[in-house]
Amino acid sequence: MRYKDTLLPRIGKPVGFLLILLAISAARVSALTNDDCLGCHGDKSMTTQHDGKTISLYIDGDAFKKTVHADNGCLSCHVDADVKGDEHPVPLKPVDCAACHDKIGERYAKSAHGVAMAKGDKFAPRCYDCHSKHDILKPTDPKSTTYPLNIPYTCGRCHQEGSKMTETHDLNKHNITTNYSMSVHGKGLFEDGLIVTAVCSSCHTAHDVQKASDPASSVNRNNIIKTCSKCHVGIAEQFQKSVHSPLVTKTNKKLPVCTDCHTDHSIARVNQRDFRLIIARQCGNCHEHKTETYMETYHGRASLLKGGERTAKCSDCHGSHNIMPAQDPSSTINTANIVKTCSKCHPNANQSFTTYLTHATHSSADKDKYPYLFYTFWAMTGLLVGTFAFFGLHTILWVPRSIIERLKAMTKQHPH
Amino acid sequence: MTRTPVLYVERFSVFQRFIHLLIILSFLTLAVTGMALKFATEPWADWIARVGGGFEVLGALHRFCAVITFFYFFLTMILLYTSWKESDKDLFEFIFDPEGLVPNLTDLKEMIGTFKWFFGGKRPYYGHWTYWEKFDFMAVFWGIAVIGSSGLALWFPEQFSRLFPGYWINIATIIHSDEALLAAGFIFTIHFYNTHLRPEKFPLDPVIFVGSVPLEELKHERPREYDQLVASGELERIVTRRAPAAWLRRLATVFGLFVVTTGSVLIVAIILTMFKYIQHN
Repeated sequence: MRYKDTLLPRIGKPVGFLLILLAISAARVSALTNDDCLGCHGDKSMTTQHDGKTISLYIDGDAFKKTVHADNGCLSCHVDADVKGDEHPVPLKPVDCAACHDKIGERYAKSAHGVAMAKGDKFAPRCYDCHSKHDILKPTDPKSTTYPLNIPYTCGRCHQEGSKMTETHDLNKHNITTNYSMSVHGKGLFEDGLIVTAVCSSCHTAHDVQKASDPASSVNRNNIIKTCSKCHVGIAEQFQKSVHSPLVTKTNKKLPVCTDCHTDHSIARVNQRDFRLIIARQCGNCHEHKTETYMETYHGRASLLKGGERTAKCSDCHGSHNIMPAQDPSSTINTANIVKTCSKCHPNANQSFTTYLTHATHSSADKDKYPYLFYTFWAMTGLLVGTFAFFGLHTILWVPRSIIERLKAMTKQHPH
Repeated sequence: MTRTPVLYVERFSVFQRFIHLLIILSFLTLAVTGMALKFATEPWADWIARVGGGFEVLGALHRFCAVITFFYFFLTMILLYTSWKESDKDLFEFIFDPEGLVPNLTDLKEMIGTFKWFFGGKRPYYGHWTYWEKFDFMAVFWGIAVIGSSGLALWFPEQFSRLFPGYWINIATIIHSDEALLAAGFIFTIHFYNTHLRPEKFPLDPVIFVGSVPLEELKHERPREYDQLVASGELERIVTRRAPAAWLRRLATVFGLFVVTTGSVLIVAIILTMFKYIQHN
């Protein structure tokens, strides 16, 4: 077919000339229509060979009309397909989405994915790896690859443990998709069908994905609180007033961010077993001595056994996002509030009861702080060692004598 | 009862045997459930909790057995009271009866005699209770007082803290835990060995379950008691040809060995754990 030959005479040469000028100036507004392309690509049997594989070149024209790019011509993306003859050069150049989506293109180029692409990493995703090619729908369309319910699958194509990408790249985190699907966010998505739950891009962003070690990353330590606060606004407000907030505590020491207590991909519901069992360890990453000594008490000991998630954990007494030092009047363990705090589990708690030492030990390190515990322990240990020393000796000395007695009794019964 | 040519003498009454059965059942359960908490960091403790159905179940069993303990303590007091009333002695005489349960100078002499016997001396002239048996009895008495009172403080910490400072609960924890370690350690090693596992008795002395011993055994093991029984003429009255029933002997062996095995396994786990702790520190 010769489109240009038939088009020009009808309109007239002057108009035709103007049109050509317009076409050149307006980034060559296509002279080819989508129907023209579909003349060949609408044929389901159209294939080509690439690396020994048969690849379909069929495009579903009706489906394309429902995509976000329905109003675009094929040539607006496949610019090099605009040729005079029947056949365009093969293969066509990769589509440059940034030609239109220039701002997103710039961000992508700076992202971990874009940098990997620039370095020639063949696993680095192009736009279409996430957005698809001819089926791009709005993210609000349930069929879109970027619809919240579908995002974990979209990202999981590469990031699922065991994929070629995970096996060829040195990654800090493992089993992220499995952990995510077990997490409170993943369950919200997969079990409760919530599209307002956090999916990959909620935390990692879509086009600005960076490794957590990168200061610009949305999941970098310094940005985590801001990232989580996008949804957890009320919690963030409380947290910013607490002792853990950099706004309150000025220190060179590392202050905790959300993920330090809650973990990242495997984040669990705080009232559930999984979270309650790890919280002491999480706090212990910084408050080491406090956790060690907590483990010496009934609360800590019982927490290690089956069902132990129900005993008091750090946050049950100290609060969580609102933690304040004990001397602050708003602290849950301030003398003004502690009876109330203990009463959550011990309804008959009283002021004297609250002098129970929840972190005390009898160790020599705490000897000066709690001498009565230290001396009680060693008095008891002395009693124990003394008793066993005496009776242990008694028993050991008895063994040979007892054997002799038994042999004597046996010879008496069966005289030879 | 089976009639045999062997003569038997009753050593423990049905009431005494019942008390000891209560002690076994409650003590073993208290030890298993309590040690699971004390050594919660160990896999074997978690295994106990999982088999038991969680630490709250262990706690409920522990408190139930504490009640049994107070109950048998009470029964023992009744037993002592009735034996006092039957003895025609005043209270002081009864408590410090040379053949009673309170240790005396004879016991010290017998203890020294026993050490000599270990090295080839003559076997001491033991009576109705040897000094190690008296120690067992007194230790349980002392143990119940100490473990029982500290245990009550831990069971009712809110009420306890109305009477005493709250940090006394910490002290009660140490006392309860370490005294229990002493008690369990003692019963599962020293008592098991002295009474059952020593070669003369191995694997089990069933008398605490079946009640009576052959007269010959009494004569050999407790010559002073035998001579006293002969001298007072009481032996004629109490000696019998009725041996303990065969089913009772079998049951005693099976049950006794089960208990001795369970206690021994627990104490081995505890000892290995303690070694690990000592190595780490």
